Amino acid sequence: MKNSTSTYRFAVCIDNEGYLASLEMGKLYRVIPDPKATEHNLIRVVDESGEDYAYPTRRFFPISVPDKLRKVLVHAPANKSLQRTSPRAPRSARRPAAGR
Amino acid sequence: MHFEIIGKIENIDAIAVRRGIRELSRLRRMYGPGRWRKMKGFALIRLEDGTIHRAELHWYEAHGIGKRDMKFKLPFLD
Repeated sequence: MKNSTSTYRFAVCIDNEGYLASLEMGKLYRVIPDPKATEHNLIRVVDESGEDYAYPTRRFFPISVPDKLRKVLVHAPANKSLQRTSPRAPRSARRPAAGR
Repeated sequence: MHFEIIGKIENIDAIAVRRGIRELSRLRRMYGPGRWRKMKGFALIRLEDGTIHRAELHWYEAHGIGKRDMKFKLPFLD
């Protein structure tokens, strides 16, 4: 395998002030290791947009996850993994029945 | 904001509009309904450690609401 899952890191957002759409308090985010970011007290995080951006390290609490969990998170489909929104009923279930 | 923009933002362009924005529901919930656009531009920025870099900026904006979630990409462009 080209990229070992052990290279993936994660962190929990502990401050989303000013970034209410991009970050969610208490949510787990994927971290992209970046020595240059670390030099400037920044952390490179894949946020709610699905793209990675630089945020101050103080906004996140790095955590280590068990290998089994790491593999699940790393290989989860992009539209499901760490950017899940509230579940919604299927469109057909939300429409009123015909004739009413 | 953890950085300061020095001068003007250049080469501003919309990179996604309304339903093309993945986090549209969050934008609406947090900041209100509007014709949201995800924007991109380039500028010099000063970080909290005092260093200055040229960076690609992204943000969201809607008429009547303004700019929200101004953030930047790595690596720096200098």
